[in-house]
Amino acid sequence: MTDRTTEFDSNMDQQTFQPSSIFGAYGGGNSGLSVPVTSGLGSISPYMNVDPSYLNLGEPQFIIPSGQARTRGRFEFFFSHIGGSVMTGAVYGGLNGLRLSISETKELKGKVKFSQMLTLVTKQGAASANVVGVIALMYSLFGLGLSWGRDTEDELNTIGAGTLTGLLYKSSAGVNKMLRGGAIGLGLSTAWCLYQSRDRLKATIGMN
Amino acid sequence: MEEYAREPCPWRIIDDCGGAFSMGCIGGGLVHSILGARNAPAGYKNRLVGSFLAVKHKAPVVGGNFAVWGGLFSTFDCALVHIRKKEDPWNSITSGAMTGAVLAARNGVFAMAASATVGGVLLAMIEGIGILMTRMSAEQFRPVNPQMEDPSQLGPKPTSFGDSQYQ
Repeated sequence: MTDRTTEFDSNMDQQTFQPSSIFGAYGGGNSGLSVPVTSGLGSISPYMNVDPSYLNLGEPQFIIPSGQARTRGRFEFFFSHIGGSVMTGAVYGGLNGLRLSISETKELKGKVKFSQMLTLVTKQGAASANVVGVIALMYSLFGLGLSWGRDTEDELNTIGAGTLTGLLYKSSAGVNKMLRGGAIGLGLSTAWCLYQSRDRLKATIGMN
Repeated sequence: MEEYAREPCPWRIIDDCGGAFSMGCIGGGLVHSILGARNAPAGYKNRLVGSFLAVKHKAPVVGGNFAVWGGLFSTFDCALVHIRKKEDPWNSITSGAMTGAVLAARNGVFAMAASATVGGVLLAMIEGIGILMTRMSAEQFRPVNPQMEDPSQLGPKPTSFGDSQYQ
């Protein structure tokens, strides 16, 4: 430790003997850097000479191009929404299959039981993943079509896409069930829109 | 949307799963609409109904199979990126082979090896075609007759510039 410090000192001496070095502009002395070390808010970096309290150290600030929405649109989220729905459906179906398999394979043992359980889990998982994924795909396609066709992005797109999805998903089960599916889609999407704009609603109710 | 960029790694799995599901569902829907119509009894209405039923029953299954493939592939890809600390075609080829092996895991060792080979070869072909496309499109931007600057006009290289300072 002491050896190192002496070496460092000798280096510093060499530098002071050379006035034409790149540090010469600062006077060549070690005390030449007169940085105010104390500021209002404790330590400040001697290299930047900037009070760090001017820099934003809190939440991230994003640069958003003018004329663009604050969040990403439907198309950017298209695959993510569908993939998330598929995965959620697969997890739900897998858990459901596990629950079913525990009760259905009571009399089996060993390898046969394990194989039967695995089959139930994979089949149930795939089935729910397909159902949820198809609904998400329909909703995303309808939402994309509506937002491109109307050239706006608002709650009407969400509600319309939800209703159309319900109608299409139940379109092969007769008119009554089809209408019921559409109503369920309408209800769910309306509830979602109300939940999304609850702050605005509260403000409106408070004004009245 | 102006440009489509891939998501960073953990989210890429969800994104790829969704992309594969939509691709399989829409593509499977198109294929099965034709197959269902061909397979249906004669008559305009029968063929329409057969086509619709085939799409309804088989398109989600195709989409689900694609989604499992895409999700597993992306999971292996991300794991390899994390382990090897680099992204190159070997990642894709390896994860293709691993996906094939995992999906055939219940059919025995031989089926696993065969499926892994198919997956690896498939992904190697895709990566190879991608590299070829990049090479061919890069060829367009090559300057026809590049004129180099003559370096002799710059004079001799200065040798003793900063010797004493950067010890």
